[in-house]
Amino acid sequence: MPEVPIAAEPRTEFGKGYARRTRVAGKVPAILYGHGTGTRHLTLPGHALMMALKTQNALIRLEGLPGGHELALPKAIQRNPIRGDIEHVDFILVRQGEKVTVDVAVRVTGEVFPGGMLDQQLVQVLVEAEATNIPQSFEVDVTGMEIGTAVHSSDLDLPPGVTLAADPEALVLHVIAAPTAEQMEAELGIPETEVPAEVPPEAVAEGDAGAGPADDGQSG
Amino acid sequence: MTFGEYGVQALEHSYLTNRQIEAARIAMTRHIRRGGKVWINIYPDRPLTKKPAETRMGSGKGSPEWWIANVKPGRVMFELSGVSEAVAREALRLAAHKLPMKCRFVKREAGEA
Repeated sequence: MPEVPIAAEPRTEFGKGYARRTRVAGKVPAILYGHGTGTRHLTLPGHALMMALKTQNALIRLEGLPGGHELALPKAIQRNPIRGDIEHVDFILVRQGEKVTVDVAVRVTGEVFPGGMLDQQLVQVLVEAEATNIPQSFEVDVTGMEIGTAVHSSDLDLPPGVTLAADPEALVLHVIAAPTAEQMEAELGIPETEVPAEVPPEAVAEGDAGAGPADDGQSG
Repeated sequence: MTFGEYGVQALEHSYLTNRQIEAARIAMTRHIRRGGKVWINIYPDRPLTKKPAETRMGSGKGSPEWWIANVKPGRVMFELSGVSEAVAREALRLAAHKLPMKCRFVKREAGEA
């Protein structure tokens, strides 16, 4: 994965007031730590950071720091839950050739056997790789997979230099039988054809008397 | 997004009753028919009380009337997977119509955990 250069500015002010002013100016507060060094507080350009962090495990080259540039991986990204803007980033310091443990996405291609349903249990797998050579994703082709077929983390095709850090027996995905019409009706509670058009208000009030959290189970 | 590929996200604060959650689940499941999987990420574990109509103040707290889930903006309430995007959009649109707050359709980004 290529390094993405980003111009960083050290910051000396902290707190929500400064952080808010920084965000209004189109910048993002961040911190950098790792390798036993003290925490360094930075300010990064918002747009460049957003573009860089569109790629998972992007290797960032932070330039303009006292003592030269540093390589870092994003460790924690705080986003606004509604707008999706980046509010703060924790970077962890890495060295050239250093092995790091990161989550890598699992991408599924193809369609399963008709009548089967793909159940993906893991969307990311924990692997150990060189910081400068982290794979972007692992592809799993499910074309023609029959019901009962399973892919475990040990079945993934890892590129050279990458080792699995997760449980090798962990289930990544499997193909299950799609629910039948009867099972769907049983899950819905009432068959679609028997839905009453009008329910008298008294009947609703009576039927509700014992309603509680037990009425709503988690589905799936 | 935690489990599925598609979801419906709350954009406002709201209380969601067990009946609203169940109505949304049924609307969604009925539309996707066979081939999809549904996750519900909220649970109505909070009782909400109400005093009977035309009652004078005092004489203690009202009786529990509803069970609600307290939803804050950004919460992905329902998730879906195993269906096409078009089917998921329609199913979640139908589900969102059963909910008392503004919602939007969300999709898992490439590489998102």
